[in-house]
Amino acid sequence: MAATAGRSGDRGFRYSLVAPSIVILLLIGVFPLVYLLVVSFQGITMMETDTSFHGLLNYRLLFSDARLWQSLLHTIVFTVVALPIELGLGLAMAQLFIDRLPGRQVFVALLVLPVVVSPIVAGATWSLMFDNRFGPVNEIIGWIAGKEMPLLWTVKPDLVYVAILVAEIWQWTPFMFLLLLAALSRVDRSQLEAAQIDGAGYWRTFFRIVLPAIWPVMAVAILIRGLDLFRLFDIVWALTKGGPGTMTETISIFTYVKGFQQFETSYTAAVALLIIVLLSVLVLTALRRVSLSR
Amino acid sequence: MSAFSPRRLVASAIRNVLVPAAATGLLAFSGTASAENAAQRAVEAAKPLCAGGKTISIVWEAGLQSLDPLNYSGPLWEKLTGCKVKVVEVPTAEMFTKIMQEYRAGTGAYDALNVVPSWMPDLVQAGALEQLDSYVDKYGYRDELKNIAPTYRDNQMTVNGKIYGFPDDGDVFIMYYRKDIFANPKLKREFKAKYKYDLAPPKTWQQFDEIGSFLTEKLKSKGIYGASLFRDPPYALFMFEERFRNEGGRFFDGNTMKATVNSEIGVKALEGMRHENRFMPPGVEKFGFVENLAVFLKGQSAMTISWPPYGRFAAGYLANEKALDWVPKSQIAGKVGYALPPGGHPELALGFALSVASSSKQKELAYLLIQWLNSEEISNKRVQLPYALRDPFRNSHYTNPGYLKLWPDAKNYLATLKEASETGLLDLSLIQTDKYEEALRQGVSRLWAGDDPKAILDDVAKQWDSITQRVGVDRQKAIYNAWAAKSGAYPKR
Repeated sequence: MAATAGRSGDRGFRYSLVAPSIVILLLIGVFPLVYLLVVSFQGITMMETDTSFHGLLNYRLLFSDARLWQSLLHTIVFTVVALPIELGLGLAMAQLFIDRLPGRQVFVALLVLPVVVSPIVAGATWSLMFDNRFGPVNEIIGWIAGKEMPLLWTVKPDLVYVAILVAEIWQWTPFMFLLLLAALSRVDRSQLEAAQIDGAGYWRTFFRIVLPAIWPVMAVAILIRGLDLFRLFDIVWALTKGGPGTMTETISIFTYVKGFQQFETSYTAAVALLIIVLLSVLVLTALRRVSLSR
Repeated sequence: MSAFSPRRLVASAIRNVLVPAAATGLLAFSGTASAENAAQRAVEAAKPLCAGGKTISIVWEAGLQSLDPLNYSGPLWEKLTGCKVKVVEVPTAEMFTKIMQEYRAGTGAYDALNVVPSWMPDLVQAGALEQLDSYVDKYGYRDELKNIAPTYRDNQMTVNGKIYGFPDDGDVFIMYYRKDIFANPKLKREFKAKYKYDLAPPKTWQQFDEIGSFLTEKLKSKGIYGASLFRDPPYALFMFEERFRNEGGRFFDGNTMKATVNSEIGVKALEGMRHENRFMPPGVEKFGFVENLAVFLKGQSAMTISWPPYGRFAAGYLANEKALDWVPKSQIAGKVGYALPPGGHPELALGFALSVASSSKQKELAYLLIQWLNSEEISNKRVQLPYALRDPFRNSHYTNPGYLKLWPDAKNYLATLKEASETGLLDLSLIQTDKYEEALRQGVSRLWAGDDPKAILDDVAKQWDSITQRVGVDRQKAIYNAWAAKSGAYPKR
């Protein structure tokens, strides 16, 4: 009995030790969410600090806002196109660098440079690269084509997605490369040698041994990059500000414009909650699919 | 023409601008001057308030604009009063947001503000600007305010009859053209033979199209295009607003508040804008202030339309000024003529007014600073600063003897600016103007992307109607009709 009382007292003491940090974490993590939820039911805008209850008005507006859904679609397009390319290129580069080559470390360090550049700087750099008059991209295409090529990369609809994707892939493929290089270097060599002795081909070895071995890391990399792409902002902002029109506007840009340029505070809160819900569903599904939740 | 020399210009500017400025500063500093004008009254009133060393923060457009308070007016104010001036540099596109954010946060971080006049109704309604009437009376500034050029004074100073800002920048678009090209006898002869009228700065957009395409056809082999214009959407937006109204367009039906920007006139204006790109330099779709300036100063275009600094830069006015290192050396000094843009009613695009932040903790001092900056005496110096971008906005600026001597053609330049200010058109100013402008900006970017002008303007009108609905039709209608009744809203017909 005394032992039980001692154990429960012990537990109480342990809880009291962690309680302050849990409260702080809850305040930091949950309070903004609750506040966001409250604001989303109000009518705060640039003009009105109207904190009265507006019911579901902002949510009704949200579902009838074509621009919002288009921006979501653009975000999905960027994600669906960029993610597999970054993954494929990152994996290919990692495969190239898995063997010990002369100067390997220098090359790896150089390849990783784009990741350390701030995305807005990367966007601004690519904006200069794509400049129709002085940019090296048009210059190089001009050399190849044998004539002047004043392509308007950030103006014409058929080029603007290519421009953004090139910049995005340039910056973030090295991230994939780095993670996958680390994963590949942990693959059991003896299994690879055994497969080789047994006469297994490259692809068979890759799919049966390498891929299962690197999959946990790859899944995390996909998840991180997927989330990053869903929040895509800087590069697009620097290159097109979401234009022409709203043709390249992502959900993050839409939210920024609504919240910080048009001061639709309550409506933006509703948009932010929608994004949080969408991302949470997406992440939980992904975690379940890749069995990482445990 | 042979009398033109950058060295002489420098000497003339030093003689006419900097020496009197320094002299005035020293005179006031010595305390011998009586408070006989608004600038001196502001200084005298500020001195006791500044005792112990205070700092006034002022939001100013980042870049060249802010060299005025950083290099000239800020240090001079400190010398005269003891108050430091902290310049908060903000890019134009972020100024409204920053001002509103600070106001909402209520930190009192900004004391004085530069605001674009078309934002004033929004800022006033939000409560971000301090009403200035009582200060104006207290410090005897009304008389000097009367001498601000009528367009700016009557349209960019008040909201609902109350003063919220002092117009401080005479922004207006004028046309700059190459006098040497337009005076070329061979070109004149050939043009007359083809179009049956004289080669001269265009009075209509039809003429602009004909002259521009003719000059490109004749001069492209020499690397000269007939024209180059702002096409980057944030700038082209103003070009559209100007052209649309010159052609007879109206933004809204004043009775119903339905958007009428998608009228035939609007569609024709957009079609014309796109069609004209054919005789402009490749990539003109991306031309903003700097790109267009570079092309014009290098002598690569025969006509352009822009804000007043183009005229000063093109004249080679103080070309050796260090702050202007980034401006390409003018290849066309002495060859530039000035005219009103086609239609004769140029856009009074943007501009700045000086205001006091309602959340400031030292409003009186902030007010005194802006009265001093905006005063007859000090503004006459400021508009002549070679590196700053403040343009003439007072009657006295257009006739300032020092300014008139700054370069051989300064007289024509100032006369054109004055005429432009008198016939100029105000930027659209409503509640939530930026939302209306944003829809139009996006529309212009779609124009360069190749979309159908009618479809673009139908979308813009739809968005405008939706914004109006959200603001409240009656509320917005009252604001719009008040704006439309102003002298510079629409051309008088």
